[in-house]
Amino acid sequence: MHPAERQTDYRWPLLWAGALVALVGAALLGVAISESEAWAEVAGALGLSLVGWGSLLQSFDAGALALGPGPAGAVAGPKMLVAGTLVWLAGWALIASGIRRAPVSTEGPSPAAGSTLYPRLARYRDFYWSTLGAYGGGILLAELVMLLLQTVLSSGVPSDLGVASKESSGGASLPPTIAFAIALVVGAGVAFASGFVGASRAQRLSLPEATIGVFYLGLPVPILLSLMERVPSLQLALGYRLREVSYVAGLLGRPELGYWLVFAALVLALVLGINTGFIAAGSGRVDLRLGFELFVARRHVAVFRPSLLLGALAVLMFGIIPPLIIYFIIRGAEAAVERTRVKSLGLADPLAAAAAQHRMKLHEQSPTMMMTALSVGGVGVGVMALIIVLSVMSGFEADLQQKILGTNAHAVVSKYAGELPEYAKVMEQVKRVPGVVGQTPFIINQVMIASEGNVDGVIIKGIDPHTVGTVTDLPQNILPGGDLGHLEQPGKILPSRAVDDDEDAPTKTPPEEEDPIIGKASKPAKPTVLPGIIVGRELAASLRVVVGDRVNVVSPLGTELGPTGPIPKSRAFRVAGVFYSGMYEYDSKFVYILLKEAQDFFALKGATGIELKVADIDDARRISNQVVRVLGGYPYRARDWGEMNKNLFSALRLEKLVMGIILSIIIIVAAGLIVATVIMLVLEKRKEISVLKALGVPDGGIVKIFLAEGLQIGVAGGLLGLFSGLAWCLFIEKVGIKLDPEVYYIPALPVRIEPVQTALAVIIAVLVTYLASIYPALKASSVEPVEGLKAE
Amino acid sequence: MALLSIRNVFKSYFLHGKRIDVLRAVSLDIQAGELVSMIGASGAGKSTFLHVLGTLDAPAAGEVLFDGRSVFSMNDAEIAEFRNRTIGFVFQSHYLLPEFTALENVAMPALIQRRDRAGAYTYARELLERVGLGSRVDHRPGELSGGEAQRVALARALVLKPAVLLADEPTGNLDPTTGEGIHQLLRDVNRDLGITAVIVTHNETLARSMPRRLRLAGGQVSEA
Repeated sequence: MHPAERQTDYRWPLLWAGALVALVGAALLGVAISESEAWAEVAGALGLSLVGWGSLLQSFDAGALALGPGPAGAVAGPKMLVAGTLVWLAGWALIASGIRRAPVSTEGPSPAAGSTLYPRLARYRDFYWSTLGAYGGGILLAELVMLLLQTVLSSGVPSDLGVASKESSGGASLPPTIAFAIALVVGAGVAFASGFVGASRAQRLSLPEATIGVFYLGLPVPILLSLMERVPSLQLALGYRLREVSYVAGLLGRPELGYWLVFAALVLALVLGINTGFIAAGSGRVDLRLGFELFVARRHVAVFRPSLLLGALAVLMFGIIPPLIIYFIIRGAEAAVERTRVKSLGLADPLAAAAAQHRMKLHEQSPTMMMTALSVGGVGVGVMALIIVLSVMSGFEADLQQKILGTNAHAVVSKYAGELPEYAKVMEQVKRVPGVVGQTPFIINQVMIASEGNVDGVIIKGIDPHTVGTVTDLPQNILPGGDLGHLEQPGKILPSRAVDDDEDAPTKTPPEEEDPIIGKASKPAKPTVLPGIIVGRELAASLRVVVGDRVNVVSPLGTELGPTGPIPKSRAFRVAGVFYSGMYEYDSKFVYILLKEAQDFFALKGATGIELKVADIDDARRISNQVVRVLGGYPYRARDWGEMNKNLFSALRLEKLVMGIILSIIIIVAAGLIVATVIMLVLEKRKEISVLKALGVPDGGIVKIFLAEGLQIGVAGGLLGLFSGLAWCLFIEKVGIKLDPEVYYIPALPVRIEPVQTALAVIIAVLVTYLASIYPALKASSVEPVEGLKAE
Repeated sequence: MALLSIRNVFKSYFLHGKRIDVLRAVSLDIQAGELVSMIGASGAGKSTFLHVLGTLDAPAAGEVLFDGRSVFSMNDAEIAEFRNRTIGFVFQSHYLLPEFTALENVAMPALIQRRDRAGAYTYARELLERVGLGSRVDHRPGELSGGEAQRVALARALVLKPAVLLADEPTGNLDPTTGEGIHQLLRDVNRDLGITAVIVTHNETLARSMPRRLRLAGGQVSEA
């Protein structure tokens, strides 16, 4: 039989029934598997194999697995499994029986039978292996290039390549985020280029090749990376080599999310490359010139008109209603004036009046114009929302970071275990590391603090007042009335009046020290000078103490042996100052004493560690690695602020990312509007498209014209969104939106405009509109010239 | 060798699931500089014949040769360029682009070729003057009368000095006087510029005035 006559007939009721039965079977199988609690094994066996041809075999294996290890569902499992399988197969049998070969056509051969097919159709090919290679190989190459670049750029040559280990790394030791940006750009470039080459070779979009390429060659790497996070053996095998990659992905808190986002970005780049390649070369020749297409597109949708742009901007800035009211007032007045003018003209010369009326009619706007304005506004709203929300979130993040880094160091050097008695020597060595701009030793511990009025558990930090200012903002955060210097000269702390009132002699008598055991005042002999302590503002409030008040610090760790057995170590301090960092957690939980006092109190010889300040906080991770290398590695270790606050910042980043994705949905909705607008344009311009084709515009040119029309909308919307978003941000920054200080601990909504993030919002909008216009543009190019030229 | 030859061309339409064979194994030669008319009943496939000749529509089978070269074996871009440079179309309706002025419409084929804009406009203006529309260059198609628009369309077809002019009932929508003006223009173009012209028409007098007359009936072309 001739292959061209093979046609199929479908009996839809049978197909639907079969699908239903197969679904029931699949549900039964699912129940069976979940009853025997074999999901993990089955999923593992099915997982990757669903992608491949061996899926049928693998699913039988999975079935066997479900039968095998199920100890719980041993009774119900097998029956259910067999029933499920049978029903499932029966469903497919039904479907198969619904497909029949159509009867052979009874008509004889056409008069053209046997003559040559016209040449272009005769040359047509279904599948291009070279294009599949370009797409699949391209995306795989892009992934590998990204992995390699990330590793090389941020850590130098992978040290396990067998090269003599150079101390200061062979590659460019860029900060990981910058390395990631470069790797992403290069990877996306590779994907784009391969898409371009593949599509321009095949001279069409070649979607089957793209799907197969991405599926079989692109997916394995992200799947492997995601599995690496879960499977310990993979982690052992690959974890160290890919540490830079997983570090960057881990910045989000969920590395898998990072991998898949990057994969999506690469696929997007490939798709863009495929489209661009097709548009540029689809009609047989690479042509990237745009002059003529823009000329036509600008006439079709005149987006860049002052009235439209100003109107949309006004709507974005002030909402819909006020500009609309103003517009109608102005239009009403204008029309009234115009009509009066035409009327007076008509009284003198009716024909001139008719001409004027005709001109007025010409100014009326088409529905497509209205749609265009709406789409511009939609994209603008999306970009504006994205910019405002992300800027405010960045503001919160920056505020938080500033407060955290104002109180905490950028990096901490310590030992894996135990204290650091040789801190002076270590500080000497650390000083030589480039990028370290300040360091101070510290002791940290947890204690109870008690005042007359209250008790609280706090973190106590022994500090060196001379150097602490080089690392944190503590000296600047001391509220007026206190003094950091008084830690060293506790005699200068004036006892507060509250204390004075309690005592008999107003000035001379120092506060009595109560003996904690006997509970009776010891001899008020001579004025004991108590060591100073600095407490946070919130803590001071809850303890109800002011500068000069006495507080007792009790450590549960270092016990002293009293007459009745071990008792907690306790010591009295006098409040030398109150600090306000702006972080509630710090202001209520931190107290500072002199390093020497802390050594004494906790019976330590040295310090817990050394706090460092670095020149560039984004470089803290690399500098802390450098510090450890200078110190000779183990037992020393250094942790940077990102690592110490990993949970907080990764949560913030994840939140921002999710917010960005959610807000991008607005842009996608706007993109839907663009699709509708451009489709309307295509329908409206069918005849013009045919004429242009008849005049010799190739398909690629038509695609370019309509893409340019969509892109104009996107660019105009993006720019409007950018302007209005920045304007709103500036408004929030300059005028301010008050926040409840009880809840937020900051007086006003913080805003930080990050240039990269803002530019990204606009780029996303333009990309989305580009993608959205592809479909209508292709539709436009598929209009047959003859269609629009039929005589009416 | 013939300028245009058609070899064994088939073309069918499908109407309500039935195949209608419009062209059945049509073969024809047209020499350079010929002025050819084609007549036939409505629906006989005259327009289809012209579309296939002008590469607007692909035949189901067969070949169209221009200067001995098979037109439909070229790729899209080459066919589009061929159409742009070699063939000028005039249709029953003027099919001018409404967003552009008469001048821009006439210059359009040159702009598609990305020629220098000023030069294209200069020549387009010259052509418009020649068809008697020197004073209407900046009018949009909506502001032109039917005859004027058709003359603009003719100027557009001629702006790149094509080898072949294909006209599909160019005067079908016009009154006899205006139509006669267009006919005269077509004859002038053929005589002065040496452009090969194929004119499909219902107008028997016009057809008879052409040196070579073709008739399309039953899917076959015959000399009338």
